[in-house]
Amino acid sequence: MSSSDTGTVTYLFALCASRPPREALSAVPGHPGGGPLRTLEAGEVVLVVQDVPAGDFQEQALTERLDRSEELERCALAHHRGVAAAASHGPVVPLPLATVYLSDDNAVAAVTAREETVLAALKRLAGRTEWAVKVHASVREAPAPPSPPPPSPAPSSSGSAEQPATAGAGGGRSYLSRASARRRVLRDRQERARALALTVDRALRAYAVDAASHRPQSEQLTGVKAPQLLNAAYLVDDARRAEFVGALEQLRADERLRAVEISWSGPWVPYSFARPEQPAATAGAGAGAP
Amino acid sequence: MTEVTDWVDPTATTVHVPGPNNSTLADLLERILDKGVVIAGDIKVDLLDIELLTIRLRLFIASVDTAKRAGIDWWETDPAMSSRAARDALAEENETLRERLAALERRLDGEGGHDTGTPTRSDTGTPAHTQTQTQTQTNPYTESPTR
Repeated sequence: MSSSDTGTVTYLFALCASRPPREALSAVPGHPGGGPLRTLEAGEVVLVVQDVPAGDFQEQALTERLDRSEELERCALAHHRGVAAAASHGPVVPLPLATVYLSDDNAVAAVTAREETVLAALKRLAGRTEWAVKVHASVREAPAPPSPPPPSPAPSSSGSAEQPATAGAGGGRSYLSRASARRRVLRDRQERARALALTVDRALRAYAVDAASHRPQSEQLTGVKAPQLLNAAYLVDDARRAEFVGALEQLRADERLRAVEISWSGPWVPYSFARPEQPAATAGAGAGAP
Repeated sequence: MTEVTDWVDPTATTVHVPGPNNSTLADLLERILDKGVVIAGDIKVDLLDIELLTIRLRLFIASVDTAKRAGIDWWETDPAMSSRAARDALAEENETLRERLAALERRLDGEGGHDTGTPTRSDTGTPAHTQTQTQTQTNPYTESPTR
C-alpha cells in the first residue's frame, strides 16, 4: 500500500483488461528501489503498478534524474519492461513515463473516473500491435552531385589581367547558375524521395487499422547520413501481421523505390495509439499532428 | 496472443536497444515521453491533483532538454512547441527590420538635406542599432524554447 507515510508513491505502468499472470510481473524488476510489480482494480480495468520511493519521484528529483541521459535511459527501460510485462497476456493501454500517484486510492479513483474511455481504448487495441517504419533517402543514391561543368576558360591571352572586373562577374554568374542547378537537382531528388516515402506510407496504411507519424529523427540521432523522410507507426491486426511484414519486404525489394531505404521494428506495445480521443493522425512527411 | 513474448527481450538487460529488434532508445523515448494531452494527464486534471500535474510539466521540460542533447529535435518542427520561439523570432526580425528601415530613412534624409549635416552616417552607431545587430545573431533554438 502506497502512502506518503511509508515514503512511497504509486507508479503506473499500464492499464489492462484482465489481470496479467503473476510470473509475468514478478519477472521484471521495475524501477530501482521499488517494490514488486502488482495490480490494482478500478472497475473492470486492471492497473499494473509499483511502489516506488517517493524521494526519487518528487518533482525536483525527477527533473534532476531525467535530465541525465543515462538515468533517463534506465528509467525509460524500466518503464518499458513494466509495460511489456503487463502486455504479456492481453491488450494494454500503456501510460507515459513517470505516471505517478500519491496513493493507490488516487490512482484507482483516477482510472475509475475514466473507465469507459480506458475500456474503449483497450477494446480498440486488443489483438493489435504497433509497427514502426522509417524511410530514409537512400545513401547509395544520395551523393553524386552533378559534376560541375568545366570552368569557363579563362581568357588565355596575355592581357587577361586587363579586365578583372568583367571576368569576375562572368565567373560569379556561372558559379551562381551552377549552384542553383545543383540546388535544383538536390531539391528534385528530395521531392522524389519524399513522394516515394508517401507511396510507402499509403501502401502500408492499406494493411493497418490506424497510422500515426512521429517527428522525423535527425541525422545525428539516426547515424544515417541521409534525411529521414518518414517516421511512422502503424497499428496492425495480429491477423494481418504476416501480410503487413510481407508488404514491407515487397516494398523494400521494389526497384521503383530504390531511391529510399525502408527499415522497421516491431511488434511494439501500441504506445502511439493509446491516447483516447485522438484525432485521425496523419502519417506522412511534414503533416504533423496538431 | 502468442507473439507477445516478443515484448520482453531477454537480452534487453545488456543491449542498448530497448524495444524490438532494430529500434533505438530514441524510438522508445518518442513513444513514452509526455508530449501533450495524454490519458494520465487528463486523469490528473480530473483529480485536480495539481502537485502531480506540476511534476509532469517539469518532467516534460526536463525530457526536452535531455532529448535535445541526445539529438531528438521534434519540438523544433512541432508547431505547438515552437510557436512561441517562432513568434519571438518573428517579432525580433520585425524589430530589426524596423530599425534598419529607420536608419535608412535617416540616412536618406541626411543625404537629401545636406544643410542639416547631422551625423546620421556615423559608423559608431546608436546603442539601439548595436543592440539589434546582436539580437539578430541569437539563434532562438539555442535557448530553450520551452521556458
